[in-house]
Amino acid sequence: MTVEQTAEMAQRPAEMKSVNPGIDWRGRALDRAPFLVACLMLALIVAIYGSLQSGVFTLDEINLDTAAAMTLMLAATGQTIVLLRGGIDLSIGGMISLGTVIAATRFTDDPSTTAFWALAILALGFGIGALNGLLISLLRLQPFLVTLATWSILNGIAMIILPTDGGSVPSWWVGFASAQLFGLTSPVWMLLALLVFWWWFRATGTGITIQASGSNEKSAFLSGVSITRVNLVTYGLSGLFAAGAALFLVTQTGAGSPTIGKDYILPSVAAAVIGGVSLFGGRGHLAGTLIGAFVLTLIGNLVFVLHVSSYWQPVASGVILLLSVLASSIAEKAARSRVQ
Amino acid sequence: MDLVTVNGLTKRYGGIVALSDATFSARAGEVHALLGENGAGKSTFIQILSGAVRHDGGSILIDGQDYRPANPDAAQARGIAAVFQELSLIPDLSVEQNIWFRHEPRTLLRTVNRGEMRRKTLALLEKYSFPTLRPDRELRRLTLAERQIVEIAKGLAKDPRIIILDEATSALPAREAEWLLKLTRQLAAEGRLVIFISHRMAEVRAIADRLTIFRNGATVAAHEANAVSDNEIVAQMIGRHLDRLYPERIPTATDRVALKVQGISSGSRLSGVEFALREGEVLGVGGLQGHGQRELFQALFGATRATGAVELWGKPVSIANPRQALTGRDGIALVPEDRRGQGLLLTKSVRENLTLSVIKRFTENGLLSRQKEAELVKEMVDFLRIKAGTPEQLAGTLSGGNQQKVIFGKMLLTQARILLLYDPTRGVDVGTKGEIFQLMRDLAAKGYAILFHSSDMPELVHVADRVMVMRNGRIAATLEGDHISEEEILRAAMLETRAA
Ligand SMILES: Nc1ncnc2c1ncn2[C@@H]1O[C@H](COP(=O)(O)OP(=O)(O)OP(=O)(O)O)[C@@H](O)[C@H]1O
Ligand SMILES: [Mg+2]
Repeated sequence: MTVEQTAEMAQRPAEMKSVNPGIDWRGRALDRAPFLVACLMLALIVAIYGSLQSGVFTLDEINLDTAAAMTLMLAATGQTIVLLRGGIDLSIGGMISLGTVIAATRFTDDPSTTAFWALAILALGFGIGALNGLLISLLRLQPFLVTLATWSILNGIAMIILPTDGGSVPSWWVGFASAQLFGLTSPVWMLLALLVFWWWFRATGTGITIQASGSNEKSAFLSGVSITRVNLVTYGLSGLFAAGAALFLVTQTGAGSPTIGKDYILPSVAAAVIGGVSLFGGRGHLAGTLIGAFVLTLIGNLVFVLHVSSYWQPVASGVILLLSVLASSIAEKAARSRVQ
Repeated sequence: MDLVTVNGLTKRYGGIVALSDATFSARAGEVHALLGENGAGKSTFIQILSGAVRHDGGSILIDGQDYRPANPDAAQARGIAAVFQELSLIPDLSVEQNIWFRHEPRTLLRTVNRGEMRRKTLALLEKYSFPTLRPDRELRRLTLAERQIVEIAKGLAKDPRIIILDEATSALPAREAEWLLKLTRQLAAEGRLVIFISHRMAEVRAIADRLTIFRNGATVAAHEANAVSDNEIVAQMIGRHLDRLYPERIPTATDRVALKVQGISSGSRLSGVEFALREGEVLGVGGLQGHGQRELFQALFGATRATGAVELWGKPVSIANPRQALTGRDGIALVPEDRRGQGLLLTKSVRENLTLSVIKRFTENGLLSRQKEAELVKEMVDFLRIKAGTPEQLAGTLSGGNQQKVIFGKMLLTQARILLLYDPTRGVDVGTKGEIFQLMRDLAAKGYAILFHSSDMPELVHVADRVMVMRNGRIAATLEGDHISEEEILRAAMLETRAA
């Protein structure tokens, strides 16, 4: 290496070769493969369901199924945000239980009291979630551990407030779930609202930062992201959606339950994974999660119309979960071998 | 007045002193090179300047004002941007999202204004004549060199007064590296201060106005670039005189063929490559980047799917995955390109990284012999002079060049006698570079067979016995003896491109 050689190097024209291969359709399809698989599964389940049961392809059925799936959808929306961040939130189980028992013991016929407590539940959800995020950052603990602990604590508090299923919510609150606008019930409108929310959220600075932190935390930090703040917002939102799920759940049950929340913990993760959200963070969309939630809900319907034991429902859910994980790992491998 | 003045800067990590007494001063409008051995503290210094790490003692003045950034945002606010050695990019975001991350143009709904972002991206890439990049491509689909270029764009997007390039050329092929050198001059001409870190003396020589030399965490000298010779600089860097960088090339190749490759193809990137690598030979692989070199190495190691026939020591084999490639003394070992992605487990210790793929060698009756392991690890650490506090230090906290040494050691420990070295000296300091070349020649003399790719062309010219030049996934020419020169390699690499 001499100075002359370098000088000569510097004089050579830097004619960069320009490669512009156009839109990479195959790459895009592979990226979305898990989502497409989820859509396919849903279509298949709907087809089977429709062939066994009449009246499946009606507005009524859509209204009904969406109402049945909405609690899970709300819980899974929060979970999707956390998964995107590369974490997991088990505490939503506790939050949902706590939300229902507060609602069942505090809601009254007086709308303003009820509204106050509904807002309080939402605020509590965000606050407890934010606390999760703070603990994870400050103590540098695994999200799994921290949220497992808060789940247990919230569950205990719910038990103290209302030891067994019971209490009640006003009938006008229950009626909310069947309120209609243009033939669609409020859960369907909520579903659309969730999609709009996601479309907006994912393009905001907060949304991108959460995704980026899940994709590569070190890089995000080097780019100026405050990891503590990201965790606070991520888990806060998850808690908020869990509280929302609780408020919706009481429209379905009409009462509170200190144990009901645990039924949503793993399904919320499963719905997201079926919909193509990565457990390793950074990848996934709410549309997939919502489809996953529909898949899990309709499996229940299917088991019912097949007149088999309801114990088949978890078996079928598990098989579907495995299939979708398999599909996404195959797609991931295919995508990777293309890059190299 | 100086734009940056640093006095007595110190930083320690537990018992490890990364900086003991760093002094530095630089003016706006100059290219200021920062030189030093692996682990001398260069990256630590720029991490402090860019707010990623906080210093323990000493002072930094910017424009004569005290400067102590609490985080990278604070540094950006003062006009400092760093192009990090280990990159700061987000794999799941697109190129343009990465470039503008946290500084995206917004719409009224607070969402990213995609049209505006695209426009700004193209304008930026245009202004500094960047090599072609697809703004909408996801980052994890890019090669290491392309990522490095995105990282540079990301730094420039902030329109910084001070831009720091930490070994930014080391991941770039010749042409892009050349472009970066020009860009560096352009940035200085715009009145910015460029702090330039590189282990390639020729580059430093070509662009630096002034230089500062670190050794063991302290500044040992600062010079006007034209007032000091290469030899003096190297001597100050490593604390002794370096006689020669490249070892004498005594041919040691025998007639025995170690690795025979026939018609190996993989997708569109590699088509029908044939060659024979002999025992005792160092066979260079050159050519412009992106013409199949990477794919060739990956295919031989079994990391990508490929068709064709491969013979090891005369025996036909099929290599479907890295495990099969790594079978003992007759096997193949690879030093990969992307050390953080493929070569190292960053959250594991130096010891674990070294011995991971050779655990069997310390296992007796199913039990791990810690002592035997410790001996081998110590031997390797001493031999390669890996600068780590203890063998238990996490690989992710080593300096860049020392990480590269760990990968090299890991490969040597496999005892495989066919070595695939893909840019083994990337980010390695001059002193160690010379040692690695010497080691390569020594291994060849012992009957190892070495396939060697380097992004630094002079290395191929001075170290390899023969050089295969690749073009469009084929071997365009094989140069031997006196025909090996940068000129010839370039000619073979570009002939067809010119005709087209
Ligand atoms: N997080 C950390 N924990 C412990 N030690 C560290 C950490 N970061 C850096 N070091 C140590 O500080 C020293 C200086 O490292 P630094 O990365 O600054 O070197 P460098 O001059 O950039 O070397 P290179 O040329 O190899 O990139 C090294 O010995 C390294 O092991
Ligand atoms: Mg460094």
